[in-house]
Order: sequence, then C-alpha cells, then structure tokens
Amino acid sequence: MNTPLIGTTTGRPSRPRRGLRLWPVVGALAAYTLFAGHKVGFDASTFWNVWSNPLWEKFWPIPWDWVLDRHNVLDPLVETLQIAVVSTLIGCTLALPLAFAMSPLTSPNRVTLVVSRSAMNVVRAVPDLFWAKLLVTAVGVGAFAGSWALSVFSLGVMVKLFSETIDGADPRPLEAARAAGGRHGPVVRTGVLPTVLPEYVAYGLYVFELNIRASVVLGLVGAGGIGRVVEAQRQYFRFDRVLGVLVLVFVVVFVIEQVSVAIRRRLV
Amino acid sequence: MSANPTIASPDRPVAPTRSGRRAVAAAILVVVVGWSVSGLGVSLDRLLGAPGDAWDIFRRMVPPAFAEAAERGVVGKVLESVHIAWIGTLIGATLSLPLAFLAAENVAPAAVRIPVRQLFNVIRAVPELILAVILIPITGLGPWAGALAIGIHSVGTLGKWATETIEGVDTGPLEAVAATGGRWVSGMRWGVVPQILPVVTSQWLFRFEINVRASAVLGMIGAGGVGSELVSQLVFRNFPAVGAVLLMTIAVVLSIDTASAAVRRRIIRGAATSSGIDSDEDRNAAVLADLTGLGR
Repeated sequence: MNTPLIGTTTGRPSRPRRGLRLWPVVGALAAYTLFAGHKVGFDASTFWNVWSNPLWEKFWPIPWDWVLDRHNVLDPLVETLQIAVVSTLIGCTLALPLAFAMSPLTSPNRVTLVVSRSAMNVVRAVPDLFWAKLLVTAVGVGAFAGSWALSVFSLGVMVKLFSETIDGADPRPLEAARAAGGRHGPVVRTGVLPTVLPEYVAYGLYVFELNIRASVVLGLVGAGGIGRVVEAQRQYFRFDRVLGVLVLVFVVVFVIEQVSVAIRRRLV
Repeated sequence: MSANPTIASPDRPVAPTRSGRRAVAAAILVVVVGWSVSGLGVSLDRLLGAPGDAWDIFRRMVPPAFAEAAERGVVGKVLESVHIAWIGTLIGATLSLPLAFLAAENVAPAAVRIPVRQLFNVIRAVPELILAVILIPITGLGPWAGALAIGIHSVGTLGKWATETIEGVDTGPLEAVAATGGRWVSGMRWGVVPQILPVVTSQWLFRFEINVRASAVLGMIGAGGVGSELVSQLVFRNFPAVGAVLLMTIAVVLSIDTASAAVRRRIIRGAATSSGIDSDEDRNAAVLADLTGLGR
C-alpha cells in the first residue's frame, strides 16, 4: 500500500448488495402464508374473537372437591403414572441390545446396522399418538394399549440417544478385549457397556420424564390414563372440570420431573 | 512362563465393592414396577396375544389403498397439516421474538426479565394437545384451533432459544450504537437483530419441523389436519386406507425434515455462527429440551 491511510477521506463504505434471489423467496413465502392462512381460517377478527368469547366463563370456578375425589381423578392419574413406569422399562430394556446393533462401533455386522437403523427411522417418523391409536385398534381400548404405544415411543427415543452415546464411547477397551481374543458378545459387554452404563440410566430417567408427559395425552385417543377423564368431561362440556384436572396433572408432573432431574444430576 | 518381574503383585485387582445403596435402588425399582404392572390389569394371555394382534393390523394395511385415500381427499388433509404448522410457527415466531428481547440477560432489566422467562417456562410445560382441548370450545372444531394451539406452544421454545441467542451476541455493535446516542430500540434493531437473525431463522425452521408432526396428531382430537382421517379410517377398520394415510404422513414429515434441515444448514453455514442448533446432536438435545421442558 503506498497511499497513506491517515488523513484521506474515504467515502461511506458501499452497502453490501442483497442477493437478487432473496426477493423471490420472500415473495413466495408471503404468498404461501396468505394461502395457508386462508386455508386455516385465519383473519384478524377470529384472533380477537378467541379472547372475547363468553365461553371462557365456563372454565371457572374450578370444582376442587370433584377434582380431588379419588374415583374421578386420582385413580386415572395413578394409572397414567403406571403406564409411564411400565413403558419406560419395556422401551429401555429393548433399546439396550438394539442400540448396540445400531452403532458402527459395536454392531455385529453391516446388515444388522443398516436394517436396524432404517427400521428405527421409520418408527420415529410416526407420531406417538398415531401409535397409540393404532394399538388401541389392535388390542382394545385401555391402559394396555397405551403402555404398548408408549413403549414403542420410548424405544425410538432411547435407541436414538443411546446409540449416539455408544458412537462416542472410547474404543480402546473394545480393541483390548478384541485383541485378547474375545467373542463379539463378551467383548461388547466388558469393553463398552461399563463406560456407557451411567448415561444409559440417565437417559432412561429422561425418557421416563418424556413418558410422564406423553401418557397424560394418551387417554385422548382411548389409550387409558388421565386423558380419558379429560376427554369425557370435554364431551360433557364441563370445561371447569377439564381445567381442574389439567392443573392437578401439571403439579404432579412438575414434582416428578424435579425428582428425576435431581437424580440425573447425581448420575452424570 | 514364570511371573513377570516388573509386576509387583500378580494378583487380580480387588473388585470395587458395591454400595448398599445400589441394592436399595434396585429394590425400590422392583416394587414400583410390580405395583405398576399390577395396576394395568394385564393378564398373561393378553400380553402374549398383543404382538400378534398388532402384527395382524399392520399386515392388513398391505397393500395401501392410495387411490381410495386420494379420492377421500387425504392429500388435502396432509397439506392442511402443513398449513397449520406453518401458520402456527409464524404466530409463535411473531409473538416470541419481541418477548425474547425482554427476557435476555444482557439487554433487559431484571424486573421485566424474570416474569417473561417464567411465562416461557409455563407455556413450554403445556403440550399442544392440551392447549387444543382448551381452545376447541372457544374457536370451534377446525384447523384454526390447531394453528392457535401450536402457535401458543411454540412461543415457549422459540422464546427460550431466541433469548439464549441474544445473550450470546457480541456487545461491540451495541456499544457502538450507544456511543452514537442511539436509543434502546435502535440498539436492538442495529446492534442485535443483524447478529441473531440467521440463527433465529433456523430455529423457526426447526420448530416448523416439530410442528408438522404435532399438527398431524392434533387432527385426532378435531383440530384440523390428517389425524382426523387416520381416526375415521381406523373406526371403519378400513386398514388399506389407514396404511395409505400413514405412508403419506411419513413421506411428508420426512421430506419436510430433510428440506428444512438443508435450508438450516445453508443459513447457519453462510452466517458462520456456531451458536444455535446446527448439528444433529444439538438438535436432538433441543427436541428433548422441548419435550421435557428442561435445559440441556
């Protein structure tokens, strides 16, 4: 550089040019938004009508003596928790071998790896309540179907999380066990399992928290638990009871989560 | 071979002793599980029969009746789910961005910040389905209830993520605006927004992916979208049509996931910012953080 920088008046720096592609994209998105808004039935008045609807009064006051009655609410709530416990256990137990099959580090062979991975991707692409509804049709209305649906859901989540943990495990104990001439099963059990076990338990608790939340809504499609009560009262237009049940559920869910979070903190 | 002279003690090292707490934890687990199983009314023959029943249903879905499903307007219903997710995401984005500025530690005073954060936490704790149950009597059955439920629920997560992004900005531009005598609003507009926009946009897209799945489910309780179609075909026990509905939903969900992930990668890479959701693991953690309402 031969021109001195100090003292020269440089003009205002030129603005960065916007790519011309930006405007067609913005235009297309705006057009889609208008179209989707029309399809969904959105306009400014509907937005306002929601808040000024007189039906809100039907949500109040909450009938606490009905909500806290054992048969009305507490028994189904207990059922919800039981569904969550059982399905967490089933899902996590099945996930243990499957996650080992899904990680390149520990998979017995390439075919197992590819098959198990793609199968679990499809399982995860189906939303949890779709599973619940399918299983309600298969095995009948009730908590049994709900437990199966949540087991599938927990399996999908757990396998994904845990197989990624295995991917990141230290390969050296594995190599040592292989070099000592171990067969595949014992090699994985002694070389990898001990290093990932704390994470397994922590993720199990994580999945339990997910299941507690998911099991609340299962009953809306007939799969048992507290959602059944919500669905019934909603059909009787007893929205005050619905609100009361929901408030109670969220207090219970919150307490359980705090306990689970405290345990997980100590584990990892 | 004789004993290796370099090793002083050739014995196997002592196994670490197990603490009694582990036994207690195992006992508690057994009791809790036993109590849960007993409460679900499971008999052995029902348990053994269930996988067969489920398999029977999946077998009857083959071959899927795409023609019949298309005739009943399932394609339109799947697209309606996408519309609901899009409008819901936009509602969430519009409401959450201003709130996020009020919740960020570096730009908002504590008196405003704490209530707004609590608002985010409370909203995140209520699932879309529950919101829809509350909203349907008010709005009536239909896609609008679903869009509003998704919009409100999205405020919680989008607000939390945007707040975290704002807290991570470089304060240089903010100081520059302050040095020229700019007001608070100018500082936000010229000091913060240009920095966070790429990350926040990708968060919106990510939320859109989650919302597509959520809106598919919302139809099951009458809030518009493909869920209602699944329920009615299952009620009629028209399994080939159920198979078609399922496959169409999976196809749309997976293709939106893929397209949106590609756009997000492009946005983030162009912005050369490392905060936010840009890798698969972060994304995973974000989903779980959303579902559980817990921090990472």
